Amino acid sequence: MAEVKVKVQPPDADPVEIENRIIELCQQFPHGITDQVIQNEMPHIEAQQRAVAINRLLSMGQLDLLRSNTGLLYRIKDSQNAGKMKGSDNQEKLVYQIIEDAGNKGIWSRDIRYKSNLPLTEINKILKNLESKKLIKAVKSVAASKKKVYMLYNLQPDRSVTGGAWYSDQDFESEFVEVLNQQCFKFLQSKAETARESKQNPMIQRNSSFASSHEVWKYICELGISKVELSMEDIETILNTLIYDGKVEMTIIAAKEGTVGSVDGHMKLYRAVSPIIPPTGLVRAPCGLCPVFDDCHEGGEISPSNCIYMTEWLEF
Amino acid sequence: MKRKLYYIFLFFLALRLPRTMTQAEIKLCSLLLQEHFGEIVEKIGVHLIRTGSQPLRVIVHDTGTSPDQVKKALCVLIQHNLVIYQVHKRGVVEYEAQCSHMLRMLRYPRYIYTTKTLYSDTGELIVEELLLNGKMTMSAVVKKVADRLTETMEDGKTMDYAEVSNTFVRLADTHFVQRCPVVPATEDSDSGPPPPAPTLVINEKDMYVVPKLNLIGKGKRRRSSDEDAAGEPKAKRPKQSTDNKEPIPDDGIYWQANLDRFHQHFRDQAIVSAVANRMDQTSSEIVRTMLRMSEITTPSSAPFTQPLSSNEIFRSLPVGYNISKQVLDQYLTLLADDPLEFVGKSGDSGGGMYVINLHKALASLATATLESVVQERFGSRCARIFRLVLQKKHLEQKQVEDFAMIPAKEAKDMLYKMLSENFISLQEIPKTPDHAPSRTFYLYTVNVLSAARMLLHRCYKSIANLIERRQFETKENKRLLEKSQRVEAIIASMQATGAEAAQLQEIEEMITAPERQQLETLKRNVNKLDASEIQVDETIFLLESYIESTMKRP
Repeated sequence: MAEVKVKVQPPDADPVEIENRIIELCQQFPHGITDQVIQNEMPHIEAQQRAVAINRLLSMGQLDLLRSNTGLLYRIKDSQNAGKMKGSDNQEKLVYQIIEDAGNKGIWSRDIRYKSNLPLTEINKILKNLESKKLIKAVKSVAASKKKVYMLYNLQPDRSVTGGAWYSDQDFESEFVEVLNQQCFKFLQSKAETARESKQNPMIQRNSSFASSHEVWKYICELGISKVELSMEDIETILNTLIYDGKVEMTIIAAKEGTVGSVDGHMKLYRAVSPIIPPTGLVRAPCGLCPVFDDCHEGGEISPSNCIYMTEWLEF
Repeated sequence: MKRKLYYIFLFFLALRLPRTMTQAEIKLCSLLLQEHFGEIVEKIGVHLIRTGSQPLRVIVHDTGTSPDQVKKALCVLIQHNLVIYQVHKRGVVEYEAQCSHMLRMLRYPRYIYTTKTLYSDTGELIVEELLLNGKMTMSAVVKKVADRLTETMEDGKTMDYAEVSNTFVRLADTHFVQRCPVVPATEDSDSGPPPPAPTLVINEKDMYVVPKLNLIGKGKRRRSSDEDAAGEPKAKRPKQSTDNKEPIPDDGIYWQANLDRFHQHFRDQAIVSAVANRMDQTSSEIVRTMLRMSEITTPSSAPFTQPLSSNEIFRSLPVGYNISKQVLDQYLTLLADDPLEFVGKSGDSGGGMYVINLHKALASLATATLESVVQERFGSRCARIFRLVLQKKHLEQKQVEDFAMIPAKEAKDMLYKMLSENFISLQEIPKTPDHAPSRTFYLYTVNVLSAARMLLHRCYKSIANLIERRQFETKENKRLLEKSQRVEAIIASMQATGAEAAQLQEIEEMITAPERQQLETLKRNVNKLDASEIQVDETIFLLESYIESTMKRP
């Protein structure tokens, strides 16, 4: 009998079988498997067949390709996401990846271009595509009103983008800030008044005229004038504006960790104060507030002799 | 080579020139000189301010006035400490104008009023006489003041010289009046021809020593027709001028008002009222006590007072204030801890040593003045931004908007407005050597010293405007004023000769009702302008003190 050379066909040389094997392996190791692991599992498959299988899985969107410090990793992709991206091509997936990485701060279109090295027209097309599929959304940044940052559809934009409690729909709420400003000041003022009238020894008087930022925060919350939940930092920014108005002064004292309102072992105390000088003499004369001061000289069109501001002021 | 010589010449020329005066200051000095001393003195004075130090014949030549008049004008100016003289090499005497002294003429009403509050009418008149006459001997002052006070007293009462002398001594003890420098007594009488101009010296110790005078007498009235019951004819009244023939015991010892001491007092007042506004009455009284204790011991330009122990302060508190020692200590601790930083603790001996931080106090007052001006001129939001940049020293545009919680557009507008008025300045920090605007940081900052100088200049111009307006208003109504003066003179003389009521009525009606109204309005306007000048002068004082204190620091 002649020897028949029988090529032993390995049982799972079928490409589909290879792919299924690889997927099973990935599911076993959800963190990802290296090429080495696949090789160990299926030592009889040639490298070329392995590569073809892996490429097919990647293009179908069932595997993720990751780079780690040991080499390349293959990870099973979330089936839900895999379904979403079915219709997209590689470029779109790349862009989506970049946006996902940006988290809730969002990323600007120019930055996407840098990261993906794709031309502008392509980027725009892809972004429109993704938006229509409701995978990403554009959020207008409060810092520069023309800039749009992109982030995943279901993410809440970060405070730095929307401005936090003081912005509602990109508009700075001046009246809200003003109202809070006045309320805080009134609270501190009344506290100082009661302290002054108690007529005890000066140390106690001064200490009781102080209010910590925690107290003010509680008072404002109880007042209920704010629709938005305000944190202690927000109240502190409002109190800082009062300091810049010259109506309030602040001291920091060391406080035990456990006391209410202390942050990192210290507390901020605020107190209402009055200005140290009355409005100065210069502003009581019309020249102090005159808008055409520099043009005024004797013998000219505008001069002290025919100054209308002075005439009005003298008739008071 | 010639160019080098030229530059060296310019350099030396520049050394001799005084601080260049701004246009506004020169204008103000000219107005003040004219009002107080007249046209000729004004011409000479302004010429000297503009050209610096000059000898007599150059002044005569340049101003075109006769030497006699120039000499008289210079006499007046020197008498009032507005011009000083110096002997240069080759025996040439040069005269130099003191612009800052001229500007102090604005403050005369404030000096007089302060003395009135401290030493009542007697003190007020003493200082007034000294300011009006420049320099006077003590006996002359006492006599004049006694006469003036007697005028105002009831019939039959006169002012005793002794009382006036006492007040004078008290003024000298608290350094409000001081002796003028005198010609030193030369030991060797024949050391050659006398120098063309004497060099005046004054010993520190003698500055406030009152000569032992035995001034006995009473004030005399100018017209003693009130004293004589029966109207004796004037010729028979005994002559009062015999007293003038007696030799004056303190001839040669002249006194002048010590303006620096007044300034120290104003500064103390400002600090005390600032403490009262920020804290309470008792704290301000404690600070006042501390300042009073340091009056004589600390020179007025020092940045800190001498340290005072808490025990000393307790002993020196005014009699009415009976607070216990512990309470005083508590107040002192509170003052030392306050963010204002007016009072500092320098040691623990004697119950705690405390100093008053004068330079910081003046800086705070000047900053508060700047803030007040910004608030009144541009609004409270602008004031918020101004205080913000002041506290944080350097800020970017974005940071200003965030900290101040003001919408970006408005914040930008306000910053540019303040920038154009020079309250705020811009500091560029380039990231690249080519200073490209897109790669440069632009930081807003406030330079308090230069802003204070700018505001001071504005104050000078404002006061000049107010004075001009006042003169204009008076000139407009000159005819009416003259008429009313004539009518008053007629009425006075008719009253003296005993006219009937009906006749007086007739004369009074020469001024019609609308004219009377006009006169009233004029008086009110002039008073208002006068008061405003004094108010602007308060601002000038704070700013000048701050600038002086900052420039003197090492």
